[in-house]
Amino acid sequence: MESLLNGFEAFQRYYLNWQIIQETLPLLLRTLPIVGELLILSMFFSFFMGLVLSLMRLSHFRVFRWFAGAYVDFFRGLPLLLNFVFVYSGLAIVGAASGLRFLILPSVVAAVLSLSTTYAAYSAEVFRAGIESIHRGQMEAARSLGMTYGQSMRYVVLPQAIKVVIPPLTNEFIALIKDTSLASVISVQELLFTAKEKMGVVANPTPLMVAAFVYVLFTIPLIRLAARLEKKREGGSKGDKTTGGSTGKTSALISADIAAQLPKGGGIQL
Amino acid sequence: MSTAPTMIELQGVHKSYGQLEVLRGIDLQVTKSEVVVVIGPSGSGKSTMLRCMNALEPIQQGKIIIEGIDLTDSHTNVNKVREKIGMVFQSFNLFPHKTALENVMLAPLKVQKKSRKEVETIARDLLVTVGLSEKADSHPDQLSGGQQQRVAIARALAMQPDMMLFDEVTSALDPELVAEVLNVMKDLALGGMTMVVVTHEMGFAREVGTRMIFMDEGVIVEESDPREMIANPKEERTKKFLGMVL
Repeated sequence: MESLLNGFEAFQRYYLNWQIIQETLPLLLRTLPIVGELLILSMFFSFFMGLVLSLMRLSHFRVFRWFAGAYVDFFRGLPLLLNFVFVYSGLAIVGAASGLRFLILPSVVAAVLSLSTTYAAYSAEVFRAGIESIHRGQMEAARSLGMTYGQSMRYVVLPQAIKVVIPPLTNEFIALIKDTSLASVISVQELLFTAKEKMGVVANPTPLMVAAFVYVLFTIPLIRLAARLEKKREGGSKGDKTTGGSTGKTSALISADIAAQLPKGGGIQL
Repeated sequence: MSTAPTMIELQGVHKSYGQLEVLRGIDLQVTKSEVVVVIGPSGSGKSTMLRCMNALEPIQQGKIIIEGIDLTDSHTNVNKVREKIGMVFQSFNLFPHKTALENVMLAPLKVQKKSRKEVETIARDLLVTVGLSEKADSHPDQLSGGQQQRVAIARALAMQPDMMLFDEVTSALDPELVAEVLNVMKDLALGGMTMVVVTHEMGFAREVGTRMIFMDEGVIVEESDPREMIANPKEERTKKFLGMVL
C-alpha cells in the first residue's frame, strides 16, 4: 500500500507538477497559430492532391493509373517521420552540394510538404472509395445525356462522393492534428517542440503531459463531430437505393483504415 | 415506309463479356417514328443491345449507325451522337443531389450551353408534359417510383433527342404506378417519337408498338407486327415465351 502511494507521488512530481503546468500552458497555447498553419495548409494541399490522385487512379489512361497507384503505395508505406527527415535534411544536403539553393527549405515549408505528400496518399484512397461508392448508373445516366466524362464527374458523381467522404476526411483531419507533432523533429517550433524545450529547462517531463492535454482537448470535439457525421450519413442513405445513389458503407471501412496509421513515432526523438 | 429515314442501324453486331457472347450477330433497322418493342427472356441480350445503341457498351464486331453516323468509328464524337439519343433506365438513375427541375435542366445547361432562362422554360414545360409540374422542387427521394421515372423521361427529352431508348422502365415499379409511366410513353409515341422499348408490358406493346422483336440467346428470333406476333407467334421459342408472360 505504501509503495503504491510512493509510486503515485513520484508520478505526480514528474508528470503533474502544478507549478510547471502553470508555466507551460501559456507557452504551449502560444504555439497554436503555427500548429494551425501547418494544419490548414497541409489539409488543403493533401485533400486537393488526394482528389487529383484518385481521379488519376480511376482514369482511362494507364500511365495516370500507374503513377497514382505507385504514389499511393509508396507514401502509404513510408513512415511519416522519415518523410520529414528526407524532405528537410535530404533536400537540404542535395541543395547545398548542388548549388540548387531553393531545395534548402525552411522547416515550416518542409513540414507542410511532408504532411501533404503523405496525407495526399491517404486522401486519395478515401476519395477513390467515395467515388466508387456512387452507383455506376449515375455515370451512365449522365453520359447518356451527352455529357463528357469530365462533366459527369464534376456535376454528377463528385458532388455525391464528397458527401460520402466527409466523415472519413474528418477522421483524417484528426490524425493530421496529431501528426503535426512530428514536425518537432525538424525543429518547427510547434506544440510538442516547445514542450520538449520546456522539459529540458525544468528537467521534468510534466510539459509533455500538458502537450498531451492540449492535443486531446482539440481533437475530442472533432472526434465527436466525425461520429455524428457518420451516423447522419448512415441514416440519410436509406432512401438512396431506388435512385442508384451511394451506399453509405464507405466511411466505416475507411475509418478502420485510418485507425491503422495513428502516429506511434512521436516520441522517438525525446 | 421505305421513304422514312433510317434512325438506327445495326449490322452484324457481336458483343461479348469475356468468354460470354451476349449478342451474336444482330441486324436491325429502325426508321423515323417507329416504335420497336423488344421482348425476350432475361439474359437474351435485349438490354445489352439497347445499351450498345448509345455506346454505353462497346461492341467487338459489326457496325452501329445512328442517323448516318458510325458509332463504331473511332473518330466519331460519341457525346455528340448521344445528345440525339435519349435513354431511360430501369433504375431511374435520377441525380439524388438535385431537384426534379435541376435533373431536367443539367444536361441542356452544361452540354448545349443554353441560357438558364431558356432551359428552365423548357424544363418546366416538360414537367407539365409528364404531369409533375408541382414536383419541380422535390428531390428524387421525395418522389414515388413512377414519378421518378417520369422525371427521368423529362430529363432525357430536355436534350430534344431524335429518338428514345427505354430499358425495362416499368420493371422496378409497383404495379399501380406502371400506367402513369406508360401513358407518358404512349403520348410520346403518338407525337411521332422514334422509340426502341425493351419491355414486358404486352398491353403497351400491342397498343403502341409498330413492330415487335423477339430476342433469345443473343439473336433476333422473330420480328413482326406486335398484334400479329402476340396472336400468332411463328417460332417455337416465341410461342413458349409468350405462353409464359401472357
